Amino acid sequence: MRLEADGVHGVHLGQWTSQNGDHSQELEVVIGVLALQGAFAEHQDILQRLFVSSHFRSATSTAAHGQPLKFTSITVRTVEELERCSALIIPGGESTTIALLLRLSNLLEPLQEFTLHKPIWGTCAGAILLSTEVANPKKGGQEVLKRIGVRIERNGWGSQVESFEAHMDVPMLRNPQRPFLGVFIRAPVVVSLLDAISFNLKAPQPLNHSSTISPPPIEIVARLPEHLLPSQTCDSEDDHNAQSVVALRQGRHFLTTFHPELTDDDRFHDFFVRRCVLPSVLAQDHS
Amino acid sequence: MTNPSLSGSSMSPAPQGAAGSAASTPSVAPARSAQKEGNLGTFGARIAEEAGACAVMALERVPADIRAEGGVARMSDPNMIKQIVDAVTIPVMAKVRIGHFVEAQILQAIGIDYIDESEVLTPADDEHHINKHNFKVPFVCGARNLGEALRRISEGAAFIRTKGEAGTGNVVEAVRHERAVNAEIRRAASMNEEELYAFAKDIGAPFHLLKETARLKRLPVVNFAAGGIATPADAALMMQLGCDGVFVGSGIFHSGDPAKRARAIVQAVTHYNNPKLLAEVSEDLGAAMVGLTISDDMKGGKLAKRGW
Repeated sequence: MRLEADGVHGVHLGQWTSQNGDHSQELEVVIGVLALQGAFAEHQDILQRLFVSSHFRSATSTAAHGQPLKFTSITVRTVEELERCSALIIPGGESTTIALLLRLSNLLEPLQEFTLHKPIWGTCAGAILLSTEVANPKKGGQEVLKRIGVRIERNGWGSQVESFEAHMDVPMLRNPQRPFLGVFIRAPVVVSLLDAISFNLKAPQPLNHSSTISPPPIEIVARLPEHLLPSQTCDSEDDHNAQSVVALRQGRHFLTTFHPELTDDDRFHDFFVRRCVLPSVLAQDHS
Repeated sequence: MTNPSLSGSSMSPAPQGAAGSAASTPSVAPARSAQKEGNLGTFGARIAEEAGACAVMALERVPADIRAEGGVARMSDPNMIKQIVDAVTIPVMAKVRIGHFVEAQILQAIGIDYIDESEVLTPADDEHHINKHNFKVPFVCGARNLGEALRRISEGAAFIRTKGEAGTGNVVEAVRHERAVNAEIRRAASMNEEELYAFAKDIGAPFHLLKETARLKRLPVVNFAAGGIATPADAALMMQLGCDGVFVGSGIFHSGDPAKRARAIVQAVTHYNNPKLLAEVSEDLGAAMVGLTISDDMKGGKLAKRGW
């Protein structure tokens, strides 16, 4: 029988600072990995390794001003599991499959609500799900969460034989002098960044939120060099500029068109947890 | 190696769409192309895509039909495969005969996403499998036991599936193959290095792959169930036995309501550990495939014996 891989894997970071067993101040940070289809096991493996690494423990402890933190990762297939999470990773896989299973599992609306308050990171198929417009959906269209203001093209480089790996310089990561190996498998391409107005018009208006709130700015985290971009003509200089973007952040949400979970390198996971999740968790804890 | 799905970390990255080591992956449904009814291939592929399949197999006939009709079964017409590629946005696989590397060259040339070097087609070589390292497109191959699985991985297979008995609607052979692989991995995991050398010789596996498998306590690539899966419960059974995903073909297209059954099997693969949900999706699926008892004299014979 398969060993149950869905168990909760927790790491107490607070035990060094609260040795008297004072857990009343311990803050639990639960990173969910959506486990409907795709590379969720790989995401969980990297998170486990990250949570016990000394650089992560010291960096998060500093960021939390010594407040004890307990990091946990869980797989998410149900609403109950989603409700436990402080943040969610949507893995690579097939976006059409994941979207359909979200709906069939009654997770689509809870997830829409989740995105209003908590960070999500989408890798590859997950990036498509976070986008606002899909350039080439399956016949009959496909559902997306519309949380990041980009128009994205599925399989932007073509079929499986066009998949590739490329070293990228990513200044915002830990040890930025070391290139990050991007694994692009039938990867999507960001074809354009939607400006605030068009994004706002197209984004669903959350309940009880003023429609005058404009979305936060898009922050580019990583680009591919020119020679690796798919050879297609662009309508404008802006769109040409957008196509090189392979990692970006908008507010609390983050997308990468490649698969950091398929490497041994934890730096994108480190970036997501420290730069997107921790600020969100600490802000909510203080409010 | 230039192909991401063949390279990588301790756990080889799974091909996208088939992805997720120790991860559930919804079913891969063959697209059936009928000889009589025009373009049923794209129709079948669309059923699979709408059901939530993460990939489709382009085939002229599902294995049950190949079994029933007999004769030499070969790679499908490239034009039929291209029509299926155009009809769906998910990855498309196609089958080649064991050892037929030119069929594989043709499929790579038309931009297929994965190749299944399959015992369901009539073997073209009774001694050699394709040297899959020569291709950029990833391959899947069938295996009945650990030695066979590691020989295929050694030749460059990016992922493995059970052989089962295709086209029978009978899951017993797939269960046998998955249990055999698991049992041998458990044995290997308890061995010291001297014992592993001897075991590698016994099962005809490359030592370095056996050692890596023993360390990981699982195959170093993803492992799918295939051959005889006909119900959501069959799919969840294979997942609970440790498979990373499921192929379903005849079991869907020889049932009363292929679209509904395909969708139920996709959900069963995701929620394989949730009996309550399995009960819900198993309701009112219409007639299941009739199926065959596995025996040497059954129609079409035992396909799983093909491959070496």
